[in-house]
Amino acid sequence: MLVYLVKRLIVSIVVLLGIALGTFLMIHLIPGDPAKIQLGIHATPEAVEQLHHKWGLDKSWPEQFWLYLGNIVTLNFGQSTAFSSGITELIGSRIGATAAILIYGILIGLLIGVPLAIFAALRQGGVIDNAIRVFTTFTFAMPPFWLGLMLALLLGFELKWFPVSGYESGLSGILRTCTVPALTIALGLLVVIVRNLRSSLVTALGSEYIEAARARGYSEFRVVAKHAMKNSVVTTITILASLFGFLVSLLVLVESVFQIPGAGTLLVQAVSKRDYQLVQTLVFLSGAVVVIIGFLADIAYAWLDPRIRLAGRS
Amino acid sequence: MRKLLLIGTMGALLALLVSACGGSSGGGGTISVAKEGESPKTANAACEEEPVAGGSLVYSRQLETVTLNPREIKNGNGDIFAQEMIFSGIVRNDPNGTDKVVPGLAESWDISKDGLTYTFHLRPGLKYSDGSPLSAEDIAWNLEQFADPEVNISLAGVAAGMESVKATNAKTVVVKLEHPVAAFLYNLAIFPAFIVDKAKLEAEGAAYWKHPVGTGPFMVKEFANGSHITFEKNPYYFEKGKPYLQTMRWNFVPNSNTRVLALKSGEAQLADGIPFAQVESLQGESNLGIQEVELPQAVILIANNRIKPLGDVHVRRALSLAINREQLNEAVFRGTGTVPNSVLMNFELDASDQEVPPFEYDVAKAKEEMAASKFPKGFSVKLQYPAGSDYFKQMSLLIQSELKEIGVDLKLEELESAAVAEKWFGGEFEMTFPFVGTSSDVPVPDEYASFYALPAAELNGFKSYWTNKEAEGLVEKFISSTNEAGRKAEWKKIQELFNEEMPSLNVMDFPLINGHQSNICGTKANGLGVDQLQETWIAEKSS
Repeated sequence: MLVYLVKRLIVSIVVLLGIALGTFLMIHLIPGDPAKIQLGIHATPEAVEQLHHKWGLDKSWPEQFWLYLGNIVTLNFGQSTAFSSGITELIGSRIGATAAILIYGILIGLLIGVPLAIFAALRQGGVIDNAIRVFTTFTFAMPPFWLGLMLALLLGFELKWFPVSGYESGLSGILRTCTVPALTIALGLLVVIVRNLRSSLVTALGSEYIEAARARGYSEFRVVAKHAMKNSVVTTITILASLFGFLVSLLVLVESVFQIPGAGTLLVQAVSKRDYQLVQTLVFLSGAVVVIIGFLADIAYAWLDPRIRLAGRS
Repeated sequence: MRKLLLIGTMGALLALLVSACGGSSGGGGTISVAKEGESPKTANAACEEEPVAGGSLVYSRQLETVTLNPREIKNGNGDIFAQEMIFSGIVRNDPNGTDKVVPGLAESWDISKDGLTYTFHLRPGLKYSDGSPLSAEDIAWNLEQFADPEVNISLAGVAAGMESVKATNAKTVVVKLEHPVAAFLYNLAIFPAFIVDKAKLEAEGAAYWKHPVGTGPFMVKEFANGSHITFEKNPYYFEKGKPYLQTMRWNFVPNSNTRVLALKSGEAQLADGIPFAQVESLQGESNLGIQEVELPQAVILIANNRIKPLGDVHVRRALSLAINREQLNEAVFRGTGTVPNSVLMNFELDASDQEVPPFEYDVAKAKEEMAASKFPKGFSVKLQYPAGSDYFKQMSLLIQSELKEIGVDLKLEELESAAVAEKWFGGEFEMTFPFVGTSSDVPVPDEYASFYALPAAELNGFKSYWTNKEAEGLVEKFISSTNEAGRKAEWKKIQELFNEEMPSLNVMDFPLINGHQSNICGTKANGLGVDQLQETWIAEKSS
């Protein structure tokens, strides 16, 4: 187990370094100079030079990268050039809203997705199964900004159940303002949850231990909910964890449609203003979250599955 | 990660280029859009009554406010409009939308005969919004900051020519210039010359900009990064009885559909940046008023004169003649645009359409110009345009098909908006739409005439790389002329010369489009399009 963990840890660190280098190079290679963007047509060479010096952009790339690595290790991400405030503080003020719609969205996704998957698995190939397939594929295929807008039109503008946009913190504020955005995220995720859970349930329901449980005369509910689900849900959750990258892109769009002051909209602004430091930090942090979630999922997996746990020994 | 960054970049395209144009303020008076036959008066008769004080409103705004520091603008009009609420200059652009300068913190001023000495007489009893007194020394110090390019990073150029500033007594500030600057009062009226609280800024440092204290009609209550900013009436505002509103909240809503939805649902009473395509349908809503805000703003198509064919004046004229601007106006701007009669954006000083005709569409003449050029068989040229804004794609495609008629093969290249601006700045383009909208910082042509004609502006003819000795001489004279009547005549000459030389193309003059609930009255903007919310009030709901 320990050997396995150490191996995974080393791999994770290498991946994080790769992410740091990748984001650094990418943002520096895209055309666009933050000083010129900020100064616009008033960018005299002197003014540009002055801002470069102020923001440390007059240093060489290796120097800038080294400073950036130092910042990551000390968790001091420096100043944002586009927002004239500290990056740690800036991200701190935005992350709450993002976490709220993300977690809320996954919860709604599970709440709708799990029953749908069960229905689909029990009526394999039937009308309901096909209807569910069509519905989830549809919500997945719709661009989130369009789907979000339609939901805002229906639930906010026509029915007036929720505001059409905006964000309030606190539990009641989140329930009021984040339900529609979270639903948009949930609908985007639905196909992943339903397809995966359905197929593992179908496999599970065909296996011998389910046969045995049925033979004992357990109710169908108990068979599905206790026996089949236990073995199917783990893979679905692991898949959700690995989908975090996809979720980030979904968040960017949903935040922009619903005017949620989250980290996604911050990333968009940072890119368009070429705020190198801020883009690097945001991309690195979301990369780090993916790596950490993956690492935790690996541990959980190893703990659950002796085949992995014991693999290092032979 | 790569996907993430890609998605981020794509998202960025959705955001409009934020006034790379130095944060041009923007615009002239407002005109209610009315269908033919209707009076262009305001939709609600209650607005004809005496203004009522009190109440609060929500304003749904396209551009986020990023900083309240007027000398270090980060997000163009997102910042400038909010700063106009909190601060005030010693003079102001006319809140009624003309290109006149009206008293601000100074109630009057004298200008010496040689145009070198400006003496400002301050209003009596001026106070900051926290009640502390504003001294003449504070004003002198602020104007020094305005003139210091290390501090005034936003727009140092507008302070050019300032020699010294001094508070000669408690009510008088004297500014001396090195040479006459015709637009000097206009330059003092815009954001970098706003008066900030010196003592508080020095005591609090950067933290001051989160809760700045100024002399504008409102003061900041809460400034929530990325979300909203709320204002409260400044009880010490120098215009008695104003502002009418007690409080207001600006929500930052970059997505235009979301803004329109907020306005329609009544969650917001004001919204800006209404998409052209939705103007007509929103006019049909009885509880809404849609306004076109006139300002010196245009879609400018830059032609790089260093590219051989584009260096030929006949070719540039042919390009302009081949563009059907009336059709573009209908198809893209839904009739809200105006066919220009000037290479620059429209200014109040411009000669009228009768004196200088608008650019015509005439394919036969265009072909004659092509025949007279060194490229009678046509040529191929690349046009760059910003992604993320539908109408630039439509416009570029229309122009592409029109130029085919005269043998010009236009190759389109879509780039992210920041990249388009950057390539324009570096001169790495053949033809380009560098900015979504190009607008002037002052309501007179001095700034942009200098950009095009004066090498001293260090902008290579607004990056057209066009040079013209005659234009240079005329503009030099114009920007230092202190004779109002003379300037009008001089400007006409420059306007005509620019039109003949056509260093670049003005495709269309176009307004800002705002919407409001019909019970919101006094929705005015100054000559640069900046909302004058101290004039805004809420009437009883009526049909």
